[in-house]
Amino acid sequence: MTRWGMVIDLRKCVGCYACMVSCKQDHFLPPNIFWNRLVVGETGKYPTVTKQLYPVLCNHCDEAACVKACPTGATSKREDGLVSINYDECVGCRYCLIACPYQQRTYYSNGKKEYFPGQGLTELELIGQELYPLQPGTVVKCNFCMERIDQGLAKGLIPGADREATPVCVNACPPKARTFGDLDDPDSEISTLIKHRKGQQLHTEYGTDPSVYYIIR
Amino acid sequence: MKPYEWMVKYTPQTEWIEGRGILMWLAEVFGGIGAGLYLVALYFNSVWGMVLGWLIVIALKGGFHLAYLGKPMRFWRMLLKPQTSWMARGFIFMLLFIVFGAVQLAYSWWLPGTTGEAVFMVLAGIMALLVAMYTGFVMNYVNGIQLWNSALLPLLFVLTGVLDGLALVIAASVFGGNIDVLAAEAISRTLLITTAALIAIYLWSATYIGSAGRQSVIRLIHGNLAPIMWVGVILCGIILPVVISWFTHIAGATSAPLLIIAIISEMIGAFALKYAILKAGTYGPLIPVSAH
Repeated sequence: MTRWGMVIDLRKCVGCYACMVSCKQDHFLPPNIFWNRLVVGETGKYPTVTKQLYPVLCNHCDEAACVKACPTGATSKREDGLVSINYDECVGCRYCLIACPYQQRTYYSNGKKEYFPGQGLTELELIGQELYPLQPGTVVKCNFCMERIDQGLAKGLIPGADREATPVCVNACPPKARTFGDLDDPDSEISTLIKHRKGQQLHTEYGTDPSVYYIIR
Repeated sequence: MKPYEWMVKYTPQTEWIEGRGILMWLAEVFGGIGAGLYLVALYFNSVWGMVLGWLIVIALKGGFHLAYLGKPMRFWRMLLKPQTSWMARGFIFMLLFIVFGAVQLAYSWWLPGTTGEAVFMVLAGIMALLVAMYTGFVMNYVNGIQLWNSALLPLLFVLTGVLDGLALVIAASVFGGNIDVLAAEAISRTLLITTAALIAIYLWSATYIGSAGRQSVIRLIHGNLAPIMWVGVILCGIILPVVISWFTHIAGATSAPLLIIAIISEMIGAFALKYAILKAGTYGPLIPVSAH
């Protein structure tokens, strides 16, 4: 069995926002919608302040709270562990959005919102609406670039190893802080990293078993 | 909120209380009031009360819920996953309440005193109880918001729903309804004191769930939500009705103006309580760092 996951090495992250921008660009995400975020914080007091960077995205949890909360079954977990949303079935109740303890879902309310207010949708935005037809009135979130994974697998490529089958945020990361692969394969790069570099999940107390791990030290 | 500020601090939930989220709050309040009124009307055998409770659930609770949905025409899809989702279960409870309630009201109108009426009274009563209760379970499931992640919430919502129902039944008696006001007042008095104790225990226990729960309680007790909590919930929702109820008890007779004040203040309390609980719902910081 396959379970796709990601490891983010916080020691390598330089806070360049390339993951956020590439995700937004690749999925033609509308204004104010981010599937990837970079959380920036500080610890300590002057003069010994440490800046901390946490790139966050949907954790594609094994025990996803959103999947259980969804009253219609629009949010579901695939066999390969990806948590996906069927926009045709979403009723827009936003219970999943409330239930996600990591706050990684967004309600897409206005399909006519422009990047340049008052100037209409640009050609690029119109193409985006054709290629990625998000439905206003539904909830959206990171899908681990499942279309790339599925198309890549169909071509015999390996997600995580072949760029064409790998999430764009992983490809775009300049210091290669992100690694993608199969969590269920003990010999995969991602499993080795988690094992040897002590990969940690965010907030394990919620019991959701996220598929995104962080290397902190 | 800018992307880089996301979840560094305690983050209040806004989806179910701000903007169109106000509709969700209204749906929850009217769900409690409608279902509570139906239950109280069943106890006092007041047909008009049952009709009004039933209508409130259909028109106001159902209406506000539908208006809140992003895709309201797909509402029927919410029936599809009751095995895991409290939202789906609640929707089913509401539909069954509407159906059983309609049959029971038809029996009460045309065939009163029959076995059919009794059977559908029980069925609709159970569904009314579940309608009043399920929003508590919907919220209780959300473990990211520690204030809501309490087993006391469903109980609190049922109690307040019944209290609101009692207030409406007493209001009807002022305008000539056939209700034993002193009996209703006695039940109301006991429930008000029980609710006050339950709110205190609920808030106290929320501080032990975790730091986000504690943060929510701080906002309610002496933060930006304190006026709503102290004036709306405690003063209007509990103290004023209890004082007026005791006055009625000691005097041995009802005073219409005082009853109306008590009922209005109890309604304010009902709206304030759910507003305060929804508004105070807070997520803990996503990452273990201080604010940037």
